[in-house]
Amino acid sequence: MAQRIKKFYQEQGIWILFILPALLVYLAFMAAPLFDSMRLSFYTGKGYTPTEFVGFQNYIDLFTNPIWRERFLGALKNTAIFFAIHMTVQNSLGLFFANLLSAEFKGRNFFRTVIFAPATLSVLVTGFLWTLILNPHWGAINQTLKAIGLDTWAKPWLGDKNLALPTISLTSVWQWVGMPTVLFLAGLLGISDEILEAARVDGASNWHIFWKIKLPLIKPVIGVVAILTFVDNFNAFDVIYAMAGAKGEPGYSTDLLATFFYRTGIAGEHPIGIPNMGMGAAIATITFVILMTGVLLWLYSSRANEDVA
Amino acid sequence: MRSKLFVLVMLVTLVLSACGGAAPTEKAPAAAVTEAPATVTEAPAAATEVPAAATEAPAEATEAPAAEAVELTLGSWRVDDVEAWDAILTAFKAEHPNITINFDPTNPPDYNATLRTQLETGTAPDLFFVRSFATGLELFEEGYVASLADLPGLKESFPAGALAPWSTAEGEPFAVPIAAVSHGIYYNQDIFDANGIAVPQTWEELMAVAQTLQDAGVIPFANGTKDAWDINEVVMMALIPNNIGGIEGRMAYLNGERCFNDADMVAAYTQIQNLAPYLPDDYTATSYYDSQQLFVQGVAAMMFDGSWSISAFEKDAPEFNWSVFAVPPAEGKDQYISFHMDAAIGMNPATKNAEAARTFLEWLESEAFAEAFGNGVPGFFPVSNNVPTLTNPVANEFLSFNNNAAGTDIRFVWEKLLDSPEGAPSTYTVMNDGVIAVLAGEQTPQEAADALQEALASWYEPAQNCK
Repeated sequence: MAQRIKKFYQEQGIWILFILPALLVYLAFMAAPLFDSMRLSFYTGKGYTPTEFVGFQNYIDLFTNPIWRERFLGALKNTAIFFAIHMTVQNSLGLFFANLLSAEFKGRNFFRTVIFAPATLSVLVTGFLWTLILNPHWGAINQTLKAIGLDTWAKPWLGDKNLALPTISLTSVWQWVGMPTVLFLAGLLGISDEILEAARVDGASNWHIFWKIKLPLIKPVIGVVAILTFVDNFNAFDVIYAMAGAKGEPGYSTDLLATFFYRTGIAGEHPIGIPNMGMGAAIATITFVILMTGVLLWLYSSRANEDVA
Repeated sequence: MRSKLFVLVMLVTLVLSACGGAAPTEKAPAAAVTEAPATVTEAPAAATEVPAAATEAPAEATEAPAAEAVELTLGSWRVDDVEAWDAILTAFKAEHPNITINFDPTNPPDYNATLRTQLETGTAPDLFFVRSFATGLELFEEGYVASLADLPGLKESFPAGALAPWSTAEGEPFAVPIAAVSHGIYYNQDIFDANGIAVPQTWEELMAVAQTLQDAGVIPFANGTKDAWDINEVVMMALIPNNIGGIEGRMAYLNGERCFNDADMVAAYTQIQNLAPYLPDDYTATSYYDSQQLFVQGVAAMMFDGSWSISAFEKDAPEFNWSVFAVPPAEGKDQYISFHMDAAIGMNPATKNAEAARTFLEWLESEAFAEAFGNGVPGFFPVSNNVPTLTNPVANEFLSFNNNAAGTDIRFVWEKLLDSPEGAPSTYTVMNDGVIAVLAGEQTPQEAADALQEALASWYEPAQNCK
């Protein structure tokens, strides 16, 4: 008997013991609240303990009641734009900076630090600073534009429905561009010098080396950066809250899924301020499903790539 | 990840603040229980004595030696007034040495939700500020606020209009009203004098003044829309009483005798349209705080704002003379003032020290409180029947509006119209969006008023059958 138990542990069962503590913590603090939140999305009622079971009514309302649908689709669209700006501007800039920083030159460490520095600040701090810089009356940007005669370019950056979301997205890009830079840099530095040297010996230009050698080799990093950007952006809340308020001013033009969720499920609408937890949970669940789908697609496609390789 | 951390931090703060609040002396609960019967018999006697605050004090004094020291917590959304409330509560303690009350405010946007959580989880303060109408009434109906039907002197100390926002439809009160706020137009007297301008008495005169100021290169009005709420609460809802004829006019809308897109409502939106050319250039990106700074720096000559901003302006100490005038009505209309019932204090039915809490609530009826509060928090006006003369000149100016006007009224949407069911449009938001759209030229005043009527007709019965 004892022999068999010993054998069991040695051969297959032992991993359970190692994984158990982490699994318990995960179940209690991650999985359980997540499923409880999903359960909550089937209820309605005032305050923090919705009691009335309504089945899928919250979801049906979200997609069919014009009031909910307009806000929900608006938030979804804005989140997609927010993500698209980060994906194109932030990650291209990150790749560009990483490529520059991977070369040997004087002051390289200084620039590495400078590019990464904003990422170490609190979003509320940078959001506040940028709100001051963009202020139409005292802000540096409009003052500068007016001083050099470009008065017509001095816009109400955060007050214009068409400009507010791109403006806030770009300040967020400014803050977080260090993240993809660091990841890309690590990927680029990991490329063996021998390959690059061989390419140069064969007469490849820098341009060729970048497109034909470096880029294909850091493809896995690009995937990781893309999925991190996706998850971060679809959860983004703080920068909007700091610069446009929880209502996504002006006129909901900067309302993201997370601010919509916060307003519905946590803060409630001004001036009543009583949240609708059930509906909030429904929005959170939908956000979760979107994220899950994205991540699974990525996992699937990266596995498929590995198999090909 | 960051947002999860944020929630965690919020939870921790909640728990910590709750612990901080619930730390009375250990003996207090037992003492309160044994003490309760004795004080109940005392209550009727106090009822006859109430109007004279002085006679009440000796009665308490005789009780004092017997009573154990009691510590209570007072929840509030007035984070800016901590010092003033400490002074007010010290004045209370001077009369009732055995009762200590700690002021424990919460950030205003979080207040309603936080209080509700505290009440549901049994960690709420013994006494707390109660919002008017639906928000407060809902808490009362769910049993989270104690009835004050038997609080001595309540009905004698306050006008009916002040009690109404914190009473049931049957007139059962559940909180003691403590504060109203007024609305007006702050103005820079030096700029007015320099341009030979007198305080306008009609809307038409106000528009002429604005034109004169603009021609002189001064921004006429500092207001903007970046924060959205301020254009609605301090501009639109200050314009409405003049246009619709005060409380009688508002009641006619609420009863369905008028539609929400009638000529008077359109006139209010039209006044918003009139203001558009006189706001700062980039008013869409101008926040409430920016507006106040434009006024304080003397860049803008006027600002629609609430009386609560007196202390903010005083703190910034402008280098010019400034005061306030009432929002003038259109030619031929009567003057009404937006005098909004803002705050009341109610009692947690679950408090272990109900007797001490009721003593405090009774004290709120006294002139001593009115004086300490009115002067301690300038711009918030005590609403009891015997308000003393205030020391702050601008606050007195605000109060003088009420005497010279045909009447006062609360903000238009607060009563009944905020009770829209879940999934129906919020009246406040519809009005807010309409005002901003009219300013931007995206809607005409008529379209904005039609949108208001349509939104209300989707759930508010009188609006469906209005004439």
